Amino acid sequence: MDPLLTLHIRIINQVFELDKKTAAKPELSSLQRNIDRIKQHFEEAGYTILNPLGEAYRETRVDYEASITGEMSSEMEIVNVIKPVVYFTAGGQKSILQKGVVIAAAK
Amino acid sequence: MSQQINFGIDLGTTNSLIARFQNGTVEIFKNPFGQKETLPSVVAFRKDRIIVGDKARELIEKDPENVFSSFKRKMGTSESFFVPNSSDFKTPVELSAIVLRELRNFIYTGEKPDAVVITIPASFDTIQSNATKKAGNDAGFREVQLLQEPIAASLAFANKQVNAASLQGQWLVYDLGGGTFDVALVKIVDGEMRVTDHEGDNYLGGVDFDIAIIEKLVVPHLQQQGAYPELLTELRSARGKYNTLYHILLKKAEEVKVQLSNSPSAEIEFEIDEQDIYLTITREQFESVIYDTIQYSVDLVKKILDRNHLSAADIMEVVMIGGSTYIPLVKQLVTAQLDIPVNCSVDPTTAVATGAAWYAGTRSVSAPESPEKRQHSGAPVNIHFKTAYQKNTADKEEYFTAIVTGPVTGLSYRIVRADGGYDSGIKPLQERISEMLLLAENTNNQFNILVFDAAHHEISADTPVISITQGKFNIHGQPLPNDICIEIDDLENNTTKLELIFEKNAILPLRKTIVKEVMKNILRTGQDSLLIHVVEGSRYAVPGSCVPLGMIEIKSTDLLTDLVKGSDVEITLQISESRDLSVKAVLLMNEQEFSEVFNPQVRQINIGKLKDDIRQLYQKAAAKMKSFKSRQQYELAAAVQQIQEDLNQVSSRIDTISDDDVTDEKYQLEEKKRKLAQQLDSTGKDQQILEITEQYFKRKEYCLQTIREQEDDSRIARFEKITADESSYLSSQSYYTIKAKIDELDDLGWEIRRNKPETWINAYYYYASVTTDDYTDPQKAARFKDAGEKALERKNYDELKVVVNQLYHLLPDTKEGDQLKGTGIG
Repeated sequence: MDPLLTLHIRIINQVFELDKKTAAKPELSSLQRNIDRIKQHFEEAGYTILNPLGEAYRETRVDYEASITGEMSSEMEIVNVIKPVVYFTAGGQKSILQKGVVIAAAK
Repeated sequence: MSQQINFGIDLGTTNSLIARFQNGTVEIFKNPFGQKETLPSVVAFRKDRIIVGDKARELIEKDPENVFSSFKRKMGTSESFFVPNSSDFKTPVELSAIVLRELRNFIYTGEKPDAVVITIPASFDTIQSNATKKAGNDAGFREVQLLQEPIAASLAFANKQVNAASLQGQWLVYDLGGGTFDVALVKIVDGEMRVTDHEGDNYLGGVDFDIAIIEKLVVPHLQQQGAYPELLTELRSARGKYNTLYHILLKKAEEVKVQLSNSPSAEIEFEIDEQDIYLTITREQFESVIYDTIQYSVDLVKKILDRNHLSAADIMEVVMIGGSTYIPLVKQLVTAQLDIPVNCSVDPTTAVATGAAWYAGTRSVSAPESPEKRQHSGAPVNIHFKTAYQKNTADKEEYFTAIVTGPVTGLSYRIVRADGGYDSGIKPLQERISEMLLLAENTNNQFNILVFDAAHHEISADTPVISITQGKFNIHGQPLPNDICIEIDDLENNTTKLELIFEKNAILPLRKTIVKEVMKNILRTGQDSLLIHVVEGSRYAVPGSCVPLGMIEIKSTDLLTDLVKGSDVEITLQISESRDLSVKAVLLMNEQEFSEVFNPQVRQINIGKLKDDIRQLYQKAAAKMKSFKSRQQYELAAAVQQIQEDLNQVSSRIDTISDDDVTDEKYQLEEKKRKLAQQLDSTGKDQQILEITEQYFKRKEYCLQTIREQEDDSRIARFEKITADESSYLSSQSYYTIKAKIDELDDLGWEIRRNKPETWINAYYYYASVTTDDYTDPQKAARFKDAGEKALERKNYDELKVVVNQLYHLLPDTKEGDQLKGTGIG
């Protein structure tokens, strides 16, 4: 992978961590605007950053890798996102740059 | 001419890869779903489909009866696996064939190789080797050549060396992967590379190191921190209180392991019982918990040496492969205890596949396939799909169904999304098929249907492309009837202009953040203010003619600190589905935030702003009048005069309104002003557009001429990019759009001209011709003129550049009219 894209992915993952922390801690909410802005800059540069937290787990969705915790069930959801899904659009072509890393569990 | 095989496959116990040799180099193909080079050798049988690779691996622990991995260990045995979901038995050969077929899908070039080299462990006997061959044949490779993994790895290393013959005598291949360990003794016998002995452990690899981090470092740390009874059990048990955390820790431990290969320490952070845990793990700690395992692998190497009566001096080097050999301790222990140099010169993950491809590049296909047979496998199948699905949707998944006509028996299909985010898995093709397709949001989703024959070879069929647009044409959302813009200052023309925020027909809800610059100093003690003015109307119109939607006025008295010209203001605009407009402005200099929600039913009128608009319109009218009169266009001049009179009337009525007026008058006057602005804008507009268009063509020609003189291809490309949509912007009837293009062309031309001495010489002569007394500081101007003459004599053009800039700044400000009040942002 292009070293610049690798670097961007690393930064995106860190911003994603910050985003998770600010969402969980009201005392950090003043950082949210800056985090949103960084995410927006990445989006303007062609990145699509997805956080599938809370979405239904689908085995046909291949842009994330899930670890399934607890018992299997027909109704499962994403309960934790360790790394976000990142797509990159270049020359009108959109493709996966980073698969998400998620934890799924029964609802 | 003989044809080379070129394709090589590493059919691994844990992961598999495919590579191709071409023109002296090897390319490792990537999975179209996720762009990873490795495919987990795992197959899952779900109720109605087969899943291979990463998604199948997800289900290993939870549905072990229907998900199969590590079946390579059972190759060549009579063992077969019962699959409850399909009430069927599968052999290791069949499972391997499914993995091999999946690897064929990685070949993005469209090639359909019918010969391949597949690697096998050094330990494989004849039956196991033949079983691998059969798996290859079943996967659609007519010809399969086998190559031992240590030989493949050695080839990859040998071909990486400047001196290809660097591997001499005998050497060891140490392969520590994700889940297995192998070591082989290789030497050249009669000019041929051969594995003469091997050892291994099928249950030793990188995963064990991840578990060691959790069990030997994280768990003891947690137990020191607080009371977590039966922590290890609660982590490992599927019903355990901390089983979710265990899966999180497995992923985080893997990351820590990778980091520790390059850094002396790494941090692991997670949450347990709503408490944040930060734990720094040093490389020493990590090494202490994996030491015994690695020592065991080194002992296996020593066993080989002892068995073959070899000493360190007899071995040239140890070739290191497998992802776990990135761990520094592995290299250290091998080097220190064996006293043999280690060779880590190629990517340990792809070494075997690379070597297989190198080998394939030297092997000829033994007999080309008969044309009849080839025709048979490539012949299109006469099946047709009649599809039904919703082409536009607001949902995140959409039901797709199709009636399939033609001979479908024995065929299977797969639906994949073009961006790689969705894969239906392999399903039997029936007369009616259906699938819930997952959609990427706010975009057009394209899905392709692939059809396979009974042997799972992809066949040519007349399949439709499924195209579903998500979000953009949302049937529940309403489109914007007009552009939404904000008003910003245009200091060059001493007026204001519009900047597009949301385009007409965009679907609600909408949100956008922009950053603008503060265009003037605003002192807390002064009277100035900053206006965030959001309007609805064409982006090409004059601001005054648009419908105001909302305005935030940031007054000097509201400020916590003085606001400095050039600082940034971040503006976020949001329009809800019910058309509420939220505007948030943050002054980045002092982090001060202002926000307001505007209900479009309640129009916000700012009297000060209204006055300034009228003043600007009056100035514009005066300028137009002057221009029309000079061209003897008296009819147009008379129309403008009438507008001026109307503006005067509005102005006098505004003067009588107090700031807290409760009547409708300010709304009526605002409406009147808007109409007058529209009238003024359209009066003589054709003439204005004609003039700016003429100016555009002149500047375009000048720019092109400047670029051509330089013969600069990259600038020609930029020129073409700027002018690409010429017919569109020239027909926009927008003064500002055409003007913006002229500015872009001027900027491009200036990039070249500013590096040419004649540019500065001409500029200097111009400023030198200006009478010294006309400068704001004649004495200073005289000194600079003198310095300019000297710089010219010495041909010192850098100095001349400085002189020109100084003289420019000494010229009086010639801008006409009053100082623009404007919005203060631009």
